[in-house]
Amino acid sequence: MILAMLKVMALSLIRDRGALAMAFLLPPTIFVIFAAIFSGTSGDELRLKLAYGSAVASDVATRFETAIRAEPSLRVLPETSNSVEAVRERVQQGEADVGLVLRDDLAGTGDSPVLVLVDPGKLMGGAIVAGQVQRILAGTLADVGVKRMAPSIEALVGGFTPQQNAQLDAALTQMAEDPASTDESSGVVAQETLQGRSGSGATVTYYAGAVAILFLLFSAMQGAATLIEERNSGIVDRLAVGPSGTDVVVIGKFLFLTLQGTLQVALIFVVAALAYKVDVLGRLPVWLLITVLSSAAAAGLGLAVASACTTKQQAQTVSTFVVLVFSAIGGSMVPRFMMPPWLQDIGWYTPNAWAIEAYHGVLWRDETLTDLTASFLPLAGLALVGVLVAVLVSRWRLRL
Amino acid sequence: MPVPLRAAAEPHALDINQLTVSYGRRQVLNHLNLQIEPGSIYGLLGPNGAGKTTLIRTICGRIVPQSGTVSIEGRSNRKKSTLRRIGLVPQEIGLYSHLTVQENLEAFGRLSGLSGSETRDAVAWAADVTRLSQRHNERLDILSGGWKRRVNIAAAILHHPALLILDEPTVGVDVDARNELHEVIRDLTHAGMAVLIATHDLDQAETICSSVGFLLGGTIVTAGAPQALIDQEFGGRTVVIIELRKPLNAQQRSALQKAGFIASNGDMTWSILGETNDSTSSALSVRLDRLGIATREIRHRKPGLDTLFLHLTRKPGEGVS
Repeated sequence: MILAMLKVMALSLIRDRGALAMAFLLPPTIFVIFAAIFSGTSGDELRLKLAYGSAVASDVATRFETAIRAEPSLRVLPETSNSVEAVRERVQQGEADVGLVLRDDLAGTGDSPVLVLVDPGKLMGGAIVAGQVQRILAGTLADVGVKRMAPSIEALVGGFTPQQNAQLDAALTQMAEDPASTDESSGVVAQETLQGRSGSGATVTYYAGAVAILFLLFSAMQGAATLIEERNSGIVDRLAVGPSGTDVVVIGKFLFLTLQGTLQVALIFVVAALAYKVDVLGRLPVWLLITVLSSAAAAGLGLAVASACTTKQQAQTVSTFVVLVFSAIGGSMVPRFMMPPWLQDIGWYTPNAWAIEAYHGVLWRDETLTDLTASFLPLAGLALVGVLVAVLVSRWRLRL
Repeated sequence: MPVPLRAAAEPHALDINQLTVSYGRRQVLNHLNLQIEPGSIYGLLGPNGAGKTTLIRTICGRIVPQSGTVSIEGRSNRKKSTLRRIGLVPQEIGLYSHLTVQENLEAFGRLSGLSGSETRDAVAWAADVTRLSQRHNERLDILSGGWKRRVNIAAAILHHPALLILDEPTVGVDVDARNELHEVIRDLTHAGMAVLIATHDLDQAETICSSVGFLLGGTIVTAGAPQALIDQEFGGRTVVIIELRKPLNAQQRSALQKAGFIASNGDMTWSILGETNDSTSSALSVRLDRLGIATREIRHRKPGLDTLFLHLTRKPGEGVS
């Protein structure tokens, strides 16, 4: 009897092209878009658009502008403005993400000769540009950096001797003529970008899991809503007098939605494997277990919501609310590490957080089955509780 | 329609005794009794809210009564196995619209507990008896209302139920399709199936039911063969129907009500039972003229179930919106 229900669900899906596209075409498409966006913002593909201005005409200013324009992480607009106001205007009009103005002699001792102008919606861009300026002053324009610091050091040591001043001038001249001689490795901070133990990209792996659980929830809610259609169309009335009752309807739908979800997630990860080299095949059994559990959790939740709602419209409203809130606080839209701690804590009450954690654990941190048990239990628990609620509420509704 | 003869030891297809069902403090069914014999068609009639749906749900085991019993073929409907002897045709098209007729029937065959081979045989039989064979590969969503109604019935008989319950089986179908559905329902009784039809279509009930029961105030107030009930209630009287040309004023309405007329069709049609002939009609016409009531037509007809329904459910002069 359950097989009959599975066949009904499968045929209904196959013959509804809209639902078919929603189930299997949209999720990989959205994943590709998310991956393209977020692998850029957190990787080396981010290239900020910068408006440059200079109120100073000097050899150092020219070297600084050349260094800025050569910086690969920046896309500097071709025109150089000659005032702070002009650069501010360009940022405010959206021509550039960030503005950078050299308003005083870099080698002088005045305060903050470089001004960074930031759009309040792109504060991170300001920090990135400020960091790049510091890097240039410590590297390409190291002589300028040292020259700015020299008076402070001289004051600290009680003044340089004439011989020391001569040596400093000679060294600065050499540094200016041969920037390559500057040893950048002597910097205080060095950065190393870690690779996942399994070789997969962290951002892509994260968003594959995030998009997967988001669409699992959407599809499960949509598929489970057929329970209401069957109730209203009299199908449930018809089956209620048979041996199957409503249990077969609910369990059949649960199994179908779990199967559909597994296929749906498989498509997302096929794209992740082909386009972003996410190593799914190497961890296939654990990945499959996570996928089945996540699909079952989404199916259980969807059926519980559908069984509790009296009309399809009500179910759509409730499910949209549940999916969007769970996805927002569970990390499907924005990584949870960017959230305040209290919101991160609440996130653990969503299946999204556990599913994302499990996918990230297996595909990036290369965790074992035992390591992932903590993620499996909430997902399995939600699946069981959800389907049990749906079975009991559906039985109860028959008595109304 | 003659009621099939029944052997003395043969149990009723449906036997309801002293059934009482309440929703909280509201009593919906009140010591209701009802029996249906195998091979007969019983029409359950009554106004909206009379308790027809509650009665069907109670027969199907979905509502536990406060008191009384429901038996199918002599066995209590509290047993799950007894409920399997019921086939339910819901008022809505309770089928999967994206599936073909054949696929729908196969699915409901399996869901009614039949094995694969039993389902194949049952689908062939049900498609034959409901005359669906020529459309079995067509998707349900492209079929007309009449064909969908046939599939709706076919899906309920796959397990050869002893009692087939049809809830408004011909809603939204044209006259031809309705007549064909009547043929299908009659054919089912030839195989010994008992049929319970809950309907507002009194013409349908009069046409195909071997007996009818009027459900009012939570109980069957009168039951029997349609013509026998009509004869018993009205004898040789006829219905006089007055079609008005323009609405009545208060004085005219009061006069008709006092005379025992019953209004329908938004007060533009009035009827009364009486032993009338041409001379009494002429006299009536003269009296109406004196009252200033402009008539479009005065006609006579034999009383039917609709007359009985109005007689049972309306007080004289009570209007129908």
